[in-house]
Amino acid sequence: MQRKMHFKKATGDRLFWLMLILPALAIVTAFILIPIADSVRMSFTEYKMKNILRGTPATWNSFENYIKLFRNKQFLPTIYRTFGFVVLVVLSQFLLGMILALILNSNVRGARLIRSVMMMPWVVPTVISALIWLWIFQSQYGLFKYLVNVFSFGRVTDFAMLNNTRFALAGIGIAALWKQIPLTTLLLLAGLQNVPDDMLEAATIDGAGYFTRLFRIVIPYMRSVIQVILTMAIIENFKQFPLIWTMTGGGPSNSTTTLAVMSYREAFVSQNLGSGAAVTTIWMLLMIVVVWVFRKCMKRQEIE
Amino acid sequence: MKRKTASRLASAGKYLLLLLLLLFLLFPLYWMLITSFKTNLESYLYPPTFWPKDFTVESYIKLFTENNLFFVYYKNNFIVSGAVALITLLISCMAGYALSRLHVKFNPALVALLTASQMFPVVSRLISLYSLLQSVDLINTFPGLILAITAAQVAFSTMLMSSFFDSVPVSIEDAASVDGAGRFRTMFTISLPLVKGGLLAVGIYSFLMAWDDFLHAAILIQSDELRTLSVGISARYLGELSYDWSLVNTISIIGILPMLLLFFFFQKYMVKGLVAGAVKG
Repeated sequence: MQRKMHFKKATGDRLFWLMLILPALAIVTAFILIPIADSVRMSFTEYKMKNILRGTPATWNSFENYIKLFRNKQFLPTIYRTFGFVVLVVLSQFLLGMILALILNSNVRGARLIRSVMMMPWVVPTVISALIWLWIFQSQYGLFKYLVNVFSFGRVTDFAMLNNTRFALAGIGIAALWKQIPLTTLLLLAGLQNVPDDMLEAATIDGAGYFTRLFRIVIPYMRSVIQVILTMAIIENFKQFPLIWTMTGGGPSNSTTTLAVMSYREAFVSQNLGSGAAVTTIWMLLMIVVVWVFRKCMKRQEIE
Repeated sequence: MKRKTASRLASAGKYLLLLLLLLFLLFPLYWMLITSFKTNLESYLYPPTFWPKDFTVESYIKLFTENNLFFVYYKNNFIVSGAVALITLLISCMAGYALSRLHVKFNPALVALLTASQMFPVVSRLISLYSLLQSVDLINTFPGLILAITAAQVAFSTMLMSSFFDSVPVSIEDAASVDGAGRFRTMFTISLPLVKGGLLAVGIYSFLMAWDDFLHAAILIQSDELRTLSVGISARYLGELSYDWSLVNTISIIGILPMLLLFFFFQKYMVKGLVAGAVKG
């Protein structure tokens, strides 16, 4: 429109913009950004629960929290375990979600009904899904023990998933998959619907088989959706806490202790906030690096 | 002939896979449901029974009549989740509108900031919030808990709202502003009614996320009568040696019920919202 109007409008727009974003900015700053910065600062100090009770301030302790952490023999295994958990759960989640989405997208009878019913685990609160799986994996009367017994034809009679240091983390992984597959499937399904039909038809006429079409057309078309889904899944599983805490509390003998459990334990069970903050600081750095590397990888693929 | 058998096999394989995946997703829910209708004695039977021998609502009666704090936690969860949903809705509606409609050069920076804010571990925030909220007397109160949970929802909800506003043509607003309607009036009376679906999606999503909260409440709430559902359940019904599994499953059913109802009633909006959020965000 007219120039003069435009200038006036632009200043007004800017003020209006500021007013609109202010509440969001304020709450995110006060309850996320400041606390994060504050906890990084805390990680360099001697700060325990009793400091809060007595009102004594934190004191600089020249990296002692970090030094102690790296001397702790449990620390590196905990990092590996966290990575292992994230990688395995995210990959299986993607694979199974993709299979389910492809099936639901292929003119299956009742696909709409199935799509809405399969979302149910997603709305189950995390602590309750922990309860459900705790009951299924229960060591004496659990359903899973019975199923293992039946399918191994009576050879394995005493299988206790969560009491076994080798399998406990897998048990938690199964519960995580159960809760997370529905949303992954739903989003992949939405992505699948954006793949142009005529291109698939043309490829079929050219004699391309199912898997050729899948890897050459469908997946490349869904790249951006897949990237978002994987990023979300990586972050979510990196942060996973309530499931592990409720199901095993990090045991047996630390076999399910991830960085989330370790930091919680340090800060709120051992009541050493400074040391807990050191764990979360390293955890955050690792997460940022992982997400960054992942994005870089996806980008490079895009260029190729 | 050969081709026909091959495609039949593929189709059979497809349905088998579907069946297995659905069994994995749905059987645990069935298992929870029937365990809640067993007597506690029967739930301890091994091998387990796949249909209750004595179908009973004993556990439900027990839960509803015995003097316990379950319904206090339940009510608290409703209060906290409801407040989180309303505040998130208001805040993200405003910010989402700003991102979608006003092209200010700081928009990309704001989006980056919001996206990054979702990544930080909750434990990291809580280590500091625990003492910060203490110093402003918000520890162990609903307002403190509500604001802390809301902060975690604002980023995703704002992106979601902005993608909904994007789908409303700007020309409608231009017509209104030519008529002399102010910015606020244009936003509230013209654009807002057109994104009702988005409002529902964001409201329900943040309600759901708040209902699911465990960590915030575990650290920021100390007194039993202020606890929310997840923390209440894990503090009161777990960790004791003698589990009443029938009762635990009953609690699970009651805890899921409002979410299931909400989801099935508003499924259309939820699905649309989640897809918009993920595909655009």
